[in-house]
Order: sequence, then structure tokens, then C-alpha cells
Amino acid sequence: MNVQFLSPRFSHRKDVDVEMLDGNSDEEQELVTPNLSQSMTLVTPGQLITSDTQFMRGHGTYIAPPERMTSSVAGAVERVNKLISVRPLHTRYTGEIGDLVIGRITEVSQRRWKVDVNSRQDGVLQLSSINLPGGVQRRKTEEDELQIRKFFAEGDLLVAEVHAFFQDGATNLHTRNSKYGKLRNGSFISVPPPLVQRCKTHFHTLSCGIDVTLGLNGYIWVSKHITQSGEEIDPDAIYSNQNELIDDSTREKIARVCNSIHALSQQFMYINDTIISYAYEASLEYHVRDLRKPDIIDAICMEVSAKISLGKAGVL
Amino acid sequence: MPTLISPSERDYILRGVETNIRADGRGRHDLRQITFETGIISQCSGSARCRLGEGTDVLVGVKVEIGDIEIDGAEEDFGGKKAKRGKVICSVECSPIASQQFAGRAAEDYNNELAQILDHVFNGPQGGINLEKLCIIPGQQCWIVYIDALVLDYAGNILDTIFVTTRAALFNTRVPKTSVQENEGIMEIEVFDDVDQAERIVGWDQVPIAVTLNKIGSRHIIDATPLEELTTEAKILIIVNKKGKLCGIQKSGEGSIEPSLLSEMIQTGRTIGQKMIRVLDDNLQREEAEMNSKRVKGQQFEKLGFFGAT
Repeated sequence: MNVQFLSPRFSHRKDVDVEMLDGNSDEEQELVTPNLSQSMTLVTPGQLITSDTQFMRGHGTYIAPPERMTSSVAGAVERVNKLISVRPLHTRYTGEIGDLVIGRITEVSQRRWKVDVNSRQDGVLQLSSINLPGGVQRRKTEEDELQIRKFFAEGDLLVAEVHAFFQDGATNLHTRNSKYGKLRNGSFISVPPPLVQRCKTHFHTLSCGIDVTLGLNGYIWVSKHITQSGEEIDPDAIYSNQNELIDDSTREKIARVCNSIHALSQQFMYINDTIISYAYEASLEYHVRDLRKPDIIDAICMEVSAKISLGKAGVL
Repeated sequence: MPTLISPSERDYILRGVETNIRADGRGRHDLRQITFETGIISQCSGSARCRLGEGTDVLVGVKVEIGDIEIDGAEEDFGGKKAKRGKVICSVECSPIASQQFAGRAAEDYNNELAQILDHVFNGPQGGINLEKLCIIPGQQCWIVYIDALVLDYAGNILDTIFVTTRAALFNTRVPKTSVQENEGIMEIEVFDDVDQAERIVGWDQVPIAVTLNKIGSRHIIDATPLEELTTEAKILIIVNKKGKLCGIQKSGEGSIEPSLLSEMIQTGRTIGQKMIRVLDDNLQREEAEMNSKRVKGQQFEKLGFFGAT
């Protein structure tokens, strides 16, 4: 029975003079102060980024005449060679075709589902875009339509891919792959969408034996590792809601991974499988339930960013 | 924050509660860490803000104003009592910025329900606040204590946080000193503006707090997250004060609770409630002592308020 009260602390993040961005790419302000985990320059809408014309402007910026590159969102400035963009702190997910997303069913209609994908509009999953149970590829029948809730009902979590866009900007999803479909055996956590980087694959297994599915829309599923072998999967069970038995140590590991991801998102650090593993290792010295405390989150993220810089320097 | 949950998540949470490892690693009776600050709104007689973990954020402002005593229609005995008392008027607003489910008119019912609970507790016999001391001129004028709670962020467990923040705000509240003089048959009230002469609300330390116990499966948890709240079958709200006395109890939800589990839950609620009050009081005294010592030394004491604090 743990009860703890705290007074708020002053945030130590220092804001950097953004006008200092000059052409010297090597002289980038590596302002790695003890408390600043990543050299991050935060800007607000309307703030000048640079007046230097040699830079190209990316997302989140606009040119205010005559030649001032100004930020249009509140977020962190990112520079890749000559391209400057601003990554917003809080934003809705805007998808690209081929993105992997995790969504929750909000509505069931005649031949389609509406899916919440943390975007400005609900995504659409049509009955013709899912794999019907029975293993064999078959045409959907009227019976399938009538039993639509047998596949996905309201509240179900699923992993899908963005197939196309409708005229109004809503995403059209599909789960036509054995990797996609209903999610089970784990726990759900949500982070700001810009933190999830695009990688080759979004299904990761961490060294501790926990599966992490990173949705590009900021929804993440942490689950027990299920060893899949093609022939043994019961084709009728792909829409089952039944969880497997999860033992205590796995459950604790899942909680630990969830808390590590939460710590990374609190400090606005990028999330991919390597960084999650670093955070998981850093968290091992604390008890699981303490991982949500602000000072421990700070400690973990500092260790993670130290490892990241070592990795960049080629040491790790 | 979701208002829907999938059957497999529900099952995962249920089994987690059984094995005492919840989704975020807490045990069944572990509270999230609470960050609080008092005295952040200068226009109020008292204020406090509490944040539970990185989630539920509640701001409470207390304002004391002189108002008329209304007896209207109460029978003789009760009317007599009412004539010598002040009043507490509570309101709760769940701001739409807290969660999408509070957008538009959807939160109205919920706001009224929460305000009613607060009202019943503070105006009732176990409310703690000494209402008689709030009377200025019997039958005519009294202090009215307006308690306004604003929910700024939602991550489960709103009611407990509101009560804890209210208690902190009442600790912070100062009632200006008054003196009553008779002048040609008319009673006149003089209010002293001197801040140092203002008094604490008598009975603030007897103000109770709430502990919500959620029944999931055959066990119960406190301080539920939104997904855990969606998995709850039945809830018991325990209002308990410093001495461990039960000041109120309310059951909500569609599920049922066996009598033995019920007494177990009440007992848990009382123990946890008392501990919370003890730890809260210690921290409130500590914060005030720090502020006073800085003031005595002539140092600047900055309230972090909304923008500075993490």
C-alpha cells in the first residue's frame, strides 16, 4: 500500500537561441547540458527559425516574406543536412499509404467498420479488405455480412495497413496478411504519433521475449511472444478473443516494457526497437511499479540518450 | 482516452488484478504518485491543484463570500439550526480538454452527479467544516464557502483526486476576520482586509476524503486507470475522515458485491483513506513551513503554477 505526495519541480529543459542555426553543419549546437537529454530546440508557432536562404524548408515551417523561415507548429526543430523541419509535440496522425497502424473499432456498419486510428477522422475497414476465416481465400457471402460482429466488434484492437485514402482524407485500411488482424495477449499504450519512426518492420521481439507492435499512429501493442509456425495456426481462430495463459514473470515484463515506452514518450524521445531495449535495460534496476515516477523517468531517459550517443559514435 | 475496450484487453486486466500485477506494474492497493501545489490562484481565498501520476489533473478554488442566510420553509427546529450556520456550495466541471468524452453537453450529468456528492458530504453532519463558526449574524448574514473543482485532465480516478485537492484547498483557505457592531439598531459587519488576521477554516482537518474501490473479478483495486475503469463491474465509494470514521458510502455500477467482499472493501478503503490523509497533511505542513521560512528570510517564494511545473 503505497501512498506518496510530491511537490512539483521546475523543468530543467533549456531553450536554445534558434537564430544561431548557421551553415556550419559540424558546429551544430550540441548543447548536451546535464539535464538536456537530446539537443532539442523547441519553437512555437510564428517563431523565427533561420533567415539563411540555403536551407530547404520541410514540414511544420513556412516562409514569411522576405526570407524568414518560420515555424507553424509548436515542436522540436530537426535538421537533416540542408532540410529543416519542425516535429510537432502534439498532433494527429496523418498517414501514408503502406503505413502500419493499430486501431480500435468504434462503429460497425453494414459492410464495413469504422476504426479509430488517432487521426482527424476514423479510418474505414471494409469487409472485403479482411481475411475471412477458413484458411482458403473465398468470396464473402451474405452470411458473412450478417455475422460481421463475429470478425470485429466494437472495442476490438487490430493491426492493419493503410491501403488508400478516400476523397475526404479518411484512410482505407486492410488486413490482408497473416501478420495483421486482431490483437490479443497483451497491453495497449498510446504515445504521440511523431515519436514512432518509420522502419522496415514494425513487429519487433525484444531480447526479453516480449513482442512489441509499433503503430505509426502512436498506438503500441505490447504482448507475450507467440511462436508462430504456419501450419499450426488454426485458421478459424484468427478472430478469437481468447487470450493464452500468461504467467507472472511475462506479465511483469510486459508491464516493464509499457512503462519504459511511457518514460520515453514523457521525455519526447524517438521510439524504435533499439531504444526500447535500451530503456528496458535501464529500467531493470528499479521496481516495476516505480517506473512511472518523474525522477526515475528522468534517470532512465538520460541513460538511454547516453547509449544512443555512444551508438552514434560507433562505440556500441 | 478510450471509452471502448476489447474482450482480450478486459481478460488481460482481469487476470492481472488476480495475480496482483496490474497493467502498469502496480499492486492492487498502490496509488499513483500525487504531485500537488497549494495557493496558486491569487484571486481565490484558497486553492490547490493535484496531478495523479501523469494523468488526472484537478484544480480546486475556494472562495468565501458573505451572503444571506436562507431559512425558507424549513420547519421550526431545523430552521433554528439553519439560522446559525454558514453554507458550502460545490460545483464540479469536467473540462472538455480533459477527455473527448466530456465534449459538448455530455459531461453535464456527470458534473451534476459529482457536485451532488461533494454537496452531501460537506453540508452533512460529517463534512468536517464547522458551519456554525461561519455564521456572522444569526438569521441574517453568514459566510458562504464556494468550492469549485475543475478537471483538467483525465486518466481515471477523478472523484478521489477531487476530494484530496479540496482538502488541500481548504487547508490553504483563509477567512477574513469580521467584527459585528450595532449601530442605531442595525447590525453592521466590518471585514478586516489585513491578510495576517485572516483565519483558517475551522474544522478543515476533519474534512474527509474519498477512496473509490473498483471490483474486478473477485478482487478490488484502488486508483483505476481508464481501461481498468471500463473493466470494473461494480464500484464502492468510501468517504472517510482522519479518525477512520466512515462518513459516506455509495455503490455504483451494474455488478453485485457479496457481503464479505463488501466489508473487506470498506476496511481497505478506511485504511488507505486514513493513510492518505496522514501523508497529505504532512506534506501540506511541509509546504507551508517551506514557504514561511522563505518569507521570513526575505527570499522570493515562487509558486510554480501551471507552466513551470512538470
